[in-house]
Amino acid sequence: MTHTRLNAADIPVPEKTLKFEGSGKQALEQGRTRLLIAGTVFALAFCVIAARVIDVSVFERAEEPRLAEERGTLTHKTGRADIVDRNGMLLATTLNVPSLYADPKYIMDPIESAAKLRTVLPELGHADLIAKFSDKKRFTWIKRNLTPRQQYAVNKLGIPGLYFQNESKRIYPQGPLTAHIVGRAGFDDVGLSGIEKNFDSMLRDGSDPLRLSIDIRIQHILREELQTQIDAFDGIGAAGIVMDVNSSEIVAMISLPDFDPNRRDQISDDAMFNRATLGVYEMGSTFKIFNTAMALDYGTTTMRNGYDASKPIRIARFTINDDHAKNRWLSVPEIFMYSSNIGSVKMALDVGGDRQKAFMKRLGFLEASAVELPERGRPLAPSPWRPINTMTISFGHGIAVSPIQLANGVASIVNGGVRHPATLLRRDTTEMLVGERVISEKTSIAMRRLLRLVVEKGTGRNANAKGYLVGGKTGTAEKPGRGGGYQRKALLSSFVAAFPVNDPRYVVLAMVDEPKGNKSSYGYATGGWVAAPAVKRIVERAAPFLNVTPVDEEAPEIRRSLMVKIPQTKGKKALASF
Amino acid sequence: MATGMQSNSLNPPELTLGIKLQQINWGLILLLTLIASVGFAMLYSAANGSWTPWAMRQAIRFGVGLVITLGIALVDLRFLMRWAYAFYFLSLGLLGVVEIAGEIGMGAQRWIDLGVFRLQPSELMKLALVLALARYFHRQTFEEVGRIRSLFVPLVLVFAPAILVLRQPDLGTAGMIILGGGAIFFLAGVRIWKFVTVLVLGLSAIPIGWQFLHNYQKNRILTFLNPENDPLGAGYHILQSKIALGSGGLFGKGFLQGSQSHLNFLPEKQTDFIFTMLAEELGLAGALFLLLLYVLALGYGFAIALRCSSQFGRLLALGTTTTLFLYMFINIAMVMGLIPVVGVPLPLISYGGTAMLTAMIGFGLIINCYVHRDIEIGRQGFEDED
Repeated sequence: MTHTRLNAADIPVPEKTLKFEGSGKQALEQGRTRLLIAGTVFALAFCVIAARVIDVSVFERAEEPRLAEERGTLTHKTGRADIVDRNGMLLATTLNVPSLYADPKYIMDPIESAAKLRTVLPELGHADLIAKFSDKKRFTWIKRNLTPRQQYAVNKLGIPGLYFQNESKRIYPQGPLTAHIVGRAGFDDVGLSGIEKNFDSMLRDGSDPLRLSIDIRIQHILREELQTQIDAFDGIGAAGIVMDVNSSEIVAMISLPDFDPNRRDQISDDAMFNRATLGVYEMGSTFKIFNTAMALDYGTTTMRNGYDASKPIRIARFTINDDHAKNRWLSVPEIFMYSSNIGSVKMALDVGGDRQKAFMKRLGFLEASAVELPERGRPLAPSPWRPINTMTISFGHGIAVSPIQLANGVASIVNGGVRHPATLLRRDTTEMLVGERVISEKTSIAMRRLLRLVVEKGTGRNANAKGYLVGGKTGTAEKPGRGGGYQRKALLSSFVAAFPVNDPRYVVLAMVDEPKGNKSSYGYATGGWVAAPAVKRIVERAAPFLNVTPVDEEAPEIRRSLMVKIPQTKGKKALASF
Repeated sequence: MATGMQSNSLNPPELTLGIKLQQINWGLILLLTLIASVGFAMLYSAANGSWTPWAMRQAIRFGVGLVITLGIALVDLRFLMRWAYAFYFLSLGLLGVVEIAGEIGMGAQRWIDLGVFRLQPSELMKLALVLALARYFHRQTFEEVGRIRSLFVPLVLVFAPAILVLRQPDLGTAGMIILGGGAIFFLAGVRIWKFVTVLVLGLSAIPIGWQFLHNYQKNRILTFLNPENDPLGAGYHILQSKIALGSGGLFGKGFLQGSQSHLNFLPEKQTDFIFTMLAEELGLAGALFLLLLYVLALGYGFAIALRCSSQFGRLLALGTTTTLFLYMFINIAMVMGLIPVVGVPLPLISYGGTAMLTAMIGFGLIINCYVHRDIEIGRQGFEDED
């Protein structure tokens, strides 16, 4: 087949041929040139895209933009200082709002004025207004906190004797989201609770916004997931904390039920109660983290040792049993993994009461947390510290601490062993942190491995957020009843975790108050079924915001760093007991 | 015309089916299948490792689309030319129907509900316009193209649908129709100074046109200029997209491992932002590989246009290639923040029926041009036939 172009130009019409050939050739050449130009444009466009792909994926490692800082806060600031989250998002601010008052002396016709005013403010009572307008006083409030539109409408009525006074009003744009942390201020700008109360004088003086360590994005995730668990398991409340393990900054903290600080009239006492900092609870098995760390750090046992957990312990009128009883000799990792009470008690007894008390003191469990809130619960610790207390404290009973203390304690255990007091204020990244060493680095590394073991093979499997190396411990405590003793049905189910546990960045605590088992949990209301799934979802959703990237959990270096050898044969102690 | 003695070369008999099948560009078909397979894999990943709800349906659509591609490839090129205007007016009519009876989908009237699937006539219009313009310019001599008055008809052909689409409102598609039409004008030999004039006029009309834009359209453009302006609102898409792209790195986070995409930070990850997800999971390497596949597929289109004997075939092949190229370019440039956010899918990969159909018809047309590359069509077209 021929490829030469044949067209009308080749039709032998002599007188026109010349012209056609000329233009045909020109057209042909131009056509080809234009095709080539088009091709070049395509090629260039592809180059641009390719260059940009390389640019964004290799050079421009996009970070979360520091947008909010540039946006800053309102410039027309007067009065009480703003409170902002760690990224500069507004948590509390003060607005100037007009309030309407009357000077009855200048009101000419009370009845007509009242009727007129009610056309724009219909919520005011007619008789009430007439009474106010006829008063002998020279000043009477008609309505506080009008919107600009209402102010405009009232002005437009032109009623003599009505005046405005500018008042400031505290606004909480995030509503209930940070209610327990920020707290609220009353009518005259007096802090009544939370940060508003704790930093009251500073907020009144300063005009720079007070920057908290909270990240409202994480706060939102935490709140949503806890509410989901309350709804699913019919709980009466919940608390949750996300904390930076290295700085002890509280990134998110939730107590449910909560309240809208903008609705002063609708706040119940139950909603006001801060379960995360004011409530103190016997935490149950999550305390085995501290018990095990204590025993390992004092050197009374090692990861290769173990204890006989085949028989319940009877002391006085109590019997200490295992919930997941194996009825055999258990190694230290197994005691932790299966949450054996018997093994934990024996570990604590080897350490002894005095040293246990000293250890609890170092972790800050014998006094109220240092967190910057007026609502801080004082722990309940035994006095005197009897052997029975040593035994029950080993598995988290007989000592009650607030959730913030628990989270802070776990952060100190996993971060390499140094305790910094929990804070709600954003720390400067350049700030030198002086902490108090509570355990050795070696013990801290051992604890990370044990925490991972629980999530991989033990009671915390529901918390396994793939790729984020969650390590944690379940806790299911029976709540003490009114008449002393414990209630089998009223549980406090919790899960405390660190991730990524090979090099922990954050501690996550989720706690649900009095959950009831449902179908999805096969009737269980324990920490492993109620709180662990919440932690999993929180980690999965929050990690991207926290700049934690998922890793391949099967990578050899990660496996090696988290490996735990579980002794298969009975240890010396057990042999000796034969 | 008395051209009987040359009619063999001017109007060669239709090729037999067997020859046509041999002539089909199977390499291009393989390439399309490869690109579409990348799409299936990404949709499988977008659904967190599941064939439902997207990947399976997309695969079925591709299968149907492939039959259509082959069907179109085998039709006689002159048949396409004869029906070009009819196809154009049908599409224009459908666009009109959308105006009147279109179902409100995503805030803009873009769909016609056919029961079986919802048709987006503006997509079909892009190809219909290429066909109609190719046919028009095929008949024009070099001198005629140079005259201004001969540009009146094709300008109407371009702007009638563009205005209808703009009323929906769909700025992106209207822009694509005008750009695609402009490309054919260029290839047909419209003089350069006319393009320059139009460009200058267009640029000076921007301040006026701005007032006619919808608020969301203004927002998108402002957001494009400064995405950090409104990170949680209009700038959200593009910021998340850039974060996801950047977090992929050289080799990505691995298939099914893209956290930005799987954690739902990335909106529309199965449709318009699928390229971002690909770049996050398969990294720079994956993104460049996909680009290479597109370069090859569109390179085929370009080569076919060069190889066509008839003006109609050449314009059709290159016009279609340009249209498909615009899809790809606009989509990828958008997710990387090079141009404002417009709702343009990534051909063969984004989830969506009409988008797949358009791409497959488009490649069908290109292959058709290849199969009939040596067919000559006289300037007067089929009037030569008797």
